[in-house]
Amino acid sequence: MLRKLLKHEFRATGRVMLPMILILLATSVAANLSLRYLMDSRAWFLTMLGGLLLMAFVFAIIGVCVVAFVLMIQRFYKNLLQDEGYVMLTLPVSIHQHIWSKLIVSAAWFALTALAVLLACCITAFDITIIKEILWGLGKIFQELREVQAYYAINGTAILVELIVLAFLSVVSMCLQFYAALAAGHSLPNHKMAWSVVWYFGLQFAFQIIAFSVISGLDHLNFFDWGVFHPDIHLSAMAGIHIGLLLMVFLTVVHGAIFYVITTFFLKKRLNLE
Amino acid sequence: MLWQFSGDAPIYSQLIEQIKVGIVSGVFPPGERLPSVRDLATEAGVNPNTMQRALTELERDGLVYSQRTAGRFVTEDKAMIETAKRALAERHINAFLDAMTRLGYQREEVINMLRQEITGGGNGDVSLAV
Amino acid sequence: MSVLQCNGLTKRYGKVPALEQVNLTVEPGRIVGLLGPNGSGKTTLIKLANGLLTPSEGELLICGAAPGRATHALVSYLPERTCIPTWMSARQLLDFYGDFYPDFRRDAAEEMLRHLDIPDTLRVKQMSKGTREKVQLIMVMSRQARLYLLDEPIGGVDPATRDYILSTIISNYNPEAAVVISTHLISDVEKVLDEVIFINRGQIMLQSSVDEIREEKGMSVDALFREVFKC
Repeated sequence: MLRKLLKHEFRATGRVMLPMILILLATSVAANLSLRYLMDSRAWFLTMLGGLLLMAFVFAIIGVCVVAFVLMIQRFYKNLLQDEGYVMLTLPVSIHQHIWSKLIVSAAWFALTALAVLLACCITAFDITIIKEILWGLGKIFQELREVQAYYAINGTAILVELIVLAFLSVVSMCLQFYAALAAGHSLPNHKMAWSVVWYFGLQFAFQIIAFSVISGLDHLNFFDWGVFHPDIHLSAMAGIHIGLLLMVFLTVVHGAIFYVITTFFLKKRLNLE
Repeated sequence: MLWQFSGDAPIYSQLIEQIKVGIVSGVFPPGERLPSVRDLATEAGVNPNTMQRALTELERDGLVYSQRTAGRFVTEDKAMIETAKRALAERHINAFLDAMTRLGYQREEVINMLRQEITGGGNGDVSLAV
Repeated sequence: MSVLQCNGLTKRYGKVPALEQVNLTVEPGRIVGLLGPNGSGKTTLIKLANGLLTPSEGELLICGAAPGRATHALVSYLPERTCIPTWMSARQLLDFYGDFYPDFRRDAAEEMLRHLDIPDTLRVKQMSKGTREKVQLIMVMSRQARLYLLDEPIGGVDPATRDYILSTIISNYNPEAAVVISTHLISDVEKVLDEVIFINRGQIMLQSSVDEIREEKGMSVDALFREVFKC
């Protein structure tokens, strides 16, 4: 059933996101052409047209990101908590499957948006001398690094992977924070949206307090003088970065899991459709 | 067929009455297959169970018989249909007479009025003069 | 086994009771009217049966099971308001119902849509209010469910649409399934019902067959309702 939910979720979101991504790619081609030919033109209107096309490209980037974000919230809110919820929440499907389908599809669109923006930037930069030179320079530095010491190259790649994983998980966790706030706010009889906003910032605040008190509590127990943190244990800078990133990945997962539990609780036990 | 229901009597008995009228008046000719319960119910806009009950009752009276696979049929016994027709007519006459009695007419007056109404092109004032 | 059974079912919103100690059973093959004035608890009962609310006390069983994923497959629900996704076309709606409900009779639904001259490609957004309600009813009645829960199916539609809706309910009658119709427009549905349940202020006042009421009280359900709920 999750597969079917995903299919319909992609159908519902794709009809908005795909045109947005196509527009982005089209504007990136236009931006590339304008950078290569129009901007240097002598005719003032061609220069202006080039400027407008570049601006359109920037707006398209902002637009596709904003739409991906709004769609993430709107699909959860409109599809499950508004009128459509009557249809969706009486399907022979579990609440978990509903949340996962929304989450997977949102995360997929965020990832695709990121890739599309990257691709669009590459298209825009295609065959432009100065950028080519910069990229060539970067490649050269990396090449030399690898020749000097494979250690840095491998670690560099690992850090990059860790950063990407962390970014992806943070996005998922952010979605879940919105879901939790919306589900909680909509369990109340009135001012559902206002309560959702209150819940969002409440959760944010609560997590900061918890994080702060956990850290200061651990500090109080001299936790940071122990294990890997022990001053006598000398970690290399690389190991420190890896441990730090992995710890952040772990905390992000915990963060997301708590929001997930809150979301399921409110959708299962405290549902209150208008 | 026009299906109409009043408020007071049970719906199944009104259905029986109206199907009888249908049979007597030839809407459902003798020996003809009746529409299915569901179709009849849809047409009359009534609950299929109620329609079923009415048809079962008609079956018990003999006006309708069912063949296990082929469905329900109107009886071919013309005499039985005639009796049913007669019974319906009597019911209408009795109801009419009761109404006239309540209005204060004697039997003789009623007969005269009826005769006038049927033969004499009808003097509408008679009924209005009450 | 009863299709729907409530034992001591109670639902409170905060401290306000919406349903109090409701006991009732609905057997297969019956078309039951859930009748009561506005705010009497009809919608609360139907939402509970759909798992959209959880009981405060007591239990509600559908074919012996508490509402959940499994019972959703047995229940076909027409909510009070039209809520089919508006961006979908008629065909996408057919896909949607067909994907999620194995008991969905797509050919029956297509036939009914054709009968109403609704093209496959028409989006819900482009349909009139009456058409939307009809389309939603078609989706609901095209399922071969065990229990149909129709919340105010004829409220707020014109008389022709009302007739259409009632005849759709009758022509999709299935002796294995029960139909519960909640409404306050009694005279319109009376002929279609086997049984009625009167509900007021969250309590069941009466459960009886329509012909019994007419036979015993010598009045229509509508008249009885007016008498019972006289202000």
